[in-house]
Amino acid sequence: MSDCGDSDVLWIPYKERPEWSDVTPVPEDDGPNPVVVIAHSEKFEDVYDYFRAVLQSNEKSERVLHLTKDALELNPANYTVWQYRRDLLKHLNTDLRTELDYVEAVIKNSPKNYQVWHHRRVLVEWLQDPTMELELTGDALLQDPKNYHAWQHRQWAIKTFGLYEKELDFVDNLITDDVRNNSAWNQRYFVVNNNLGWSDLICQQEVCYTLEKINFVKNNESAWNYLRGLLIHDKRGLSGNAVITSFCEELYKNKCRSPFLLAFIIDVCEDAIKKKDTNCFHNADRAVELCQALATRYDKIRSKYWNYLCERYKKYQSEQLSNDNKTNDLIIDE
Amino acid sequence: MNNEGNKDMAHRQHVKYFMRFLNILPSSLSSHDTTRVTIAYFSVAGLDVLGSISAISLDLRSRIIEWLYRLQVHPDKETGDMSLCGFQGSSTINIRLDPDNNQFRCGHLAMTYTGLCILLALGDDLSRINRTALIQGVKALQTDEGNFSATLSGCESDMRFVYCAACISYILNDWSGFDIEKATDYVIKSIGYDYGIAQCPELESHGGTTFCALATLALTDQLDKLSEAQIDGLKRWLVYRQIDGFQGRPNKPVDTCYSFWVGASLKILNALQLTNYGSNRRYVYETQDMVVGGFSKWPDTCTDPMHTYLGLSGLSLIGESGLLEIEPRLNITKRAYEHLKCLHEQWVS
Ligand SMILES: [Zn+2]
Repeated sequence: MSDCGDSDVLWIPYKERPEWSDVTPVPEDDGPNPVVVIAHSEKFEDVYDYFRAVLQSNEKSERVLHLTKDALELNPANYTVWQYRRDLLKHLNTDLRTELDYVEAVIKNSPKNYQVWHHRRVLVEWLQDPTMELELTGDALLQDPKNYHAWQHRQWAIKTFGLYEKELDFVDNLITDDVRNNSAWNQRYFVVNNNLGWSDLICQQEVCYTLEKINFVKNNESAWNYLRGLLIHDKRGLSGNAVITSFCEELYKNKCRSPFLLAFIIDVCEDAIKKKDTNCFHNADRAVELCQALATRYDKIRSKYWNYLCERYKKYQSEQLSNDNKTNDLIIDE
Repeated sequence: MNNEGNKDMAHRQHVKYFMRFLNILPSSLSSHDTTRVTIAYFSVAGLDVLGSISAISLDLRSRIIEWLYRLQVHPDKETGDMSLCGFQGSSTINIRLDPDNNQFRCGHLAMTYTGLCILLALGDDLSRINRTALIQGVKALQTDEGNFSATLSGCESDMRFVYCAACISYILNDWSGFDIEKATDYVIKSIGYDYGIAQCPELESHGGTTFCALATLALTDQLDKLSEAQIDGLKRWLVYRQIDGFQGRPNKPVDTCYSFWVGASLKILNALQLTNYGSNRRYVYETQDMVVGGFSKWPDTCTDPMHTYLGLSGLSLIGESGLLEIEPRLNITKRAYEHLKCLHEQWVS
């Protein structure tokens, strides 16, 4: 980054620089009795006094471009400095490629800063060139695979410039590294939804993929959520996909009691009840039983939630019962 | 830190903690230079939820109010243009500028929202707020997509600023700068396949942005635009965030602030009672610094005003004794909210 940051010994304040002697610094005017006062360093005050001065005089020069670098190093969250810098880049016709390198360095130091990612996006828009973006965000995600800013920038670049081609491989690697990486699962959905489409074939492939991952780690909310999410696109709904329902029953039979498995079976029951398509596995009685198991044994922290859902299924049970009675009445009448 | 001795509120220490932040901050907080108003908000709102707003002397109260009003950006004297109006977050760029680059002195939605909250908590009557101008400032920031940018001079737009814009419109009781239909559409588009809500469409669901989205729907009276499946799904996604305290996303570590973000979201959906208060409470207390006051996101890490305020307001949501009640949609105390309702009545008549 800037050559003045790391070695403050060599730092010469702007007010002592002969080449800046034509500028009168403008101190911050925080009123007579300010509150939440930050005890800034002398360096901070010096740089920002000069930044205010050039902003006021609207100076657009190379030296100001350097000044903004110093100002941003002291506070990369100052959106005004970034915006002024963009104005300078335009005005001075600066080579935007070097600016991309600079932003990359700032991102490496402040990967969770909103302003710097915004700056990056504007540059890429200006250049209409996204060739570096997958690598840049890939590097940031290597450091922190759940960095929200990096994912947001990546999705934007992919969507804007149609960079889907290798994204599923990228996602697959991340999921292989950490099957619980929810950001990666979300990105998987993003790619399928925007690029591959939810054809029957793709749906089936995704089901297989997800079941395999669930088999690997059963207690993983991310994979179960993805499974539920992709079934939005399966016409047969939650309860109609025999591959999934038998997979779940098999797990259950083999004593798996992951709360996510039980919750999923409850959702299958609910879907079956709503479609009036219940069977011996998926019905209100089963939903009640599973809610009770979750509340009392397998997911106690959410016992109130499972009891609340349980009440709903008990209502279904009684409706079922009264319907059965009505049917019986009819038979007797005949 | 010994968690056993950490089950009670270090009330006196927290008051001192916030009072310190209201006065002076170390240079290590220089990166918060443009958002000092939010630090003032966490401190004032924190004292308020502690029931200690009176710890702020009359002199300090008027200093805070005067300082804030100096940050209000007024309509352009020449043209009457109001698109830059709002609050700045500090006086860093509070300087006279030529018409060509006047746009750099502009309001910021998060600063306007938190600035108004401070004034309400301090019992100010908002009579020096140029309400029409602030609303025009909000209006200038809504995008075609329905979301809002933070400022007019080069900022990102996302769910956070939809929420800030909704709060400002609600507080000023004027929705003429906020296209409710467009914003609702944006919120609904940002619901994920797991029914949580993200910063923007298709991004990963997140506890903070889910709060921003749901509070916006509540403030604009649009919760009925959610389908039954969406409401059920949201409740599920939100209660699943509880580990002991709450996490912001699936498979992420628990963090004190989500006791508020997720807690308030559930409160808005009338479902907070479905969570485990005891575990939630225990976790938040584990992140309390008994000695110098404050809460941090994780046990034994650095405290900060945001996590301190959100920890306290999260505890307030579950009825912790000794704390004032919170109005979850606006993230201010019920006490401040009652004051706002009085102002609304005055404005109508
Ligand atoms: Zn946090």
